[in-house]
Amino acid sequence: MARRLLTLLLVPLGGLLLLALLFDYLVVEGPMRTAFDRSLGDAAVVIAAYVRPTGNGAAVALPPPVTAQLATRGARPVYALRDAAGALLDGEARLPAAPPEVPDALQFSSTRLDSGRPARIVWYRFVADGRALVLAVAEPIGERDDATRPLVTATLTLDVLQLVAVVAFVLIGVRRGLRPLAEFRDELASRSARELEPLDERRVPQEIAPLVGSLNALLARVRASAEAQRKFVADAAHQLRTPLAGMQAQLELLERDAAALPVRDRVGAVREGLKRLAHTAHQLLTLARAEGSATLERDFGDVDLARLIEDAVTQHLDRALEKRIDLGAEAHSATVRAIEWLLRELIQNLVDNALNYTPSGGVVTLRCGPLPEGAFLEVEDDGPGIAPEERPRVMERFHRASDAPGVGSGLGLAIVSDIVALHGARFELAAGHGGRGTRARVEFKAPAARARA
Amino acid sequence: MRILIVEDDELVADALKRGLAATGFAVDRVGSAEQAEAALATEEFDLAVVDIGLPKADGLTLVRKIRRAGNDLPVLILTARDGLADRVDALDLGADDYLVKPFELPEVAARCRALIRRTRSATSAQLHIGALTLDLKSRTAELAGQPLDVTRREWSILECLALDAGRVVRKEKLLRAIAGWDEELTPNAVEVYVSRLRAKLGESVAIRTVRGLGYRLDEPAP
Repeated sequence: MARRLLTLLLVPLGGLLLLALLFDYLVVEGPMRTAFDRSLGDAAVVIAAYVRPTGNGAAVALPPPVTAQLATRGARPVYALRDAAGALLDGEARLPAAPPEVPDALQFSSTRLDSGRPARIVWYRFVADGRALVLAVAEPIGERDDATRPLVTATLTLDVLQLVAVVAFVLIGVRRGLRPLAEFRDELASRSARELEPLDERRVPQEIAPLVGSLNALLARVRASAEAQRKFVADAAHQLRTPLAGMQAQLELLERDAAALPVRDRVGAVREGLKRLAHTAHQLLTLARAEGSATLERDFGDVDLARLIEDAVTQHLDRALEKRIDLGAEAHSATVRAIEWLLRELIQNLVDNALNYTPSGGVVTLRCGPLPEGAFLEVEDDGPGIAPEERPRVMERFHRASDAPGVGSGLGLAIVSDIVALHGARFELAAGHGGRGTRARVEFKAPAARARA
Repeated sequence: MRILIVEDDELVADALKRGLAATGFAVDRVGSAEQAEAALATEEFDLAVVDIGLPKADGLTLVRKIRRAGNDLPVLILTARDGLADRVDALDLGADDYLVKPFELPEVAARCRALIRRTRSATSAQLHIGALTLDLKSRTAELAGQPLDVTRREWSILECLALDAGRVVRKEKLLRAIAGWDEELTPNAVEVYVSRLRAKLGESVAIRTVRGLGYRLDEPAP
């Protein structure tokens, strides 16, 4: 918009100013030329006054004061005195004779002197002692230019300064005038998708206030739908989890009661299936809740990664012990701006994967700590690892490794990747230490660093 | 030990009742906050397991009422919601612990036992973890009825772990428990005392090392 406005203003203004420049040049040039010609004519008349008859000719006899006077004009004028027939009586033969057809007393013309220097010449017809004579006086134009240059230069300099000033004022003015728009744009750009508070209509130019109004109405609708989705997911969670909890616990009891009966294995299989269903339901609810939360800034707070890691280790300890996996932490306090429950889900999914894929006797380590501009979180195992070519695919929803054991929903890393994106963080899957196992690493940028990026 | 279950869903309530009864608890069950208040007014309980999503008055309101009445009955909250806000709410309101549905019955039983033990250690001087008994007043320990010979520092560590049995106790906390005013101890000292304790306790009670965090005293499942 600013560019368009500047083009519309600066192109015609520039043209106009160039025209003014040309006009000024002509205006200064014309009168100067006339003035110089008149002065050249005056010189001719003065010189003619000192023409004295000599025998059958005539000669110019300038007394020294007159010569000095003529010299003050800048250049000593060159002259040639001829009779009516054109024969040279005195002066310099290189000056051309007057064109015969010109009747005027003073006749001006441009000519070239020796070596082609451009010059101005005047012929003065007069009568001395009854003889018709023609006096030619010439002056190189270079001399004139020397005299006029300061004036022309001053005028044109002024014009150029004016041009620069006008362009500068237009630039400043346009930028100033559009600043509220630019601020509005920056405010919108700096907002993350989760900031849905209305924009201030009073801070924008009147012309776009209606636009901001409709934008605010749209924001309000998005906000309302985010709230509605939250409520729906919370209700759905309750309605799904309660019967799942009941069935799972009942099957647990049934399996125990059926310890010695042949149906025991089948009850166990049903319980495992139900567990998987419950896990998938939880994952789907997490995805749905994450999307709802993504739109609301108030969910974000300062979260210490070390505390989350300690909780995660504590929470998964029994499962690790059962599978004889050494689960441990290397946690250094590091605070990030985040949605705590989502980070818990993120860590839970990473640890879940690590425990699922690491064989008995393996090592799983959770790490976190500060970075120069943010913080990191890492879950490393020494399991079979993920082939580099398969790494991008494991992030897709419902993708499962071909040799994946048991309980995965195929949503774990998709959830991780959603949560990572929601926090403006970076996720990386690589091999663990010594090229063994998998290292899943999340890097959070500090809020300041994120704003700069 | 008597537990009151406050849960409106029949399937969940029935499973909880049977599951907890099977691990030796006496269990009563009600289906609403109003019934729970009535039961608590007339009977003595050691613990309440309260579902948040009750009809009419919810579980959080019930916990608030119980605490406002000056009753310090330990409360384990069950919920189908899992947001952090709920958890903070529940613990702020005076609930003692929190479990998200679906849960596994052994986990519920373990949490109940830990909560009851912690409340009792505040009032009685004796702490029982499996075959281990700690007398907090005389600072002595018994293992399967036999006096256990522990040094002052070993006892401090054992006490710390036992008071939070089933939970991870940070190494720093154990270090603070054994460090005197005038001596500097390295974290290695904790490892030394823990390994001596392990040798003395044998198989009956396990002290697990949680790499990078600390230790956890586990009682064997009944």
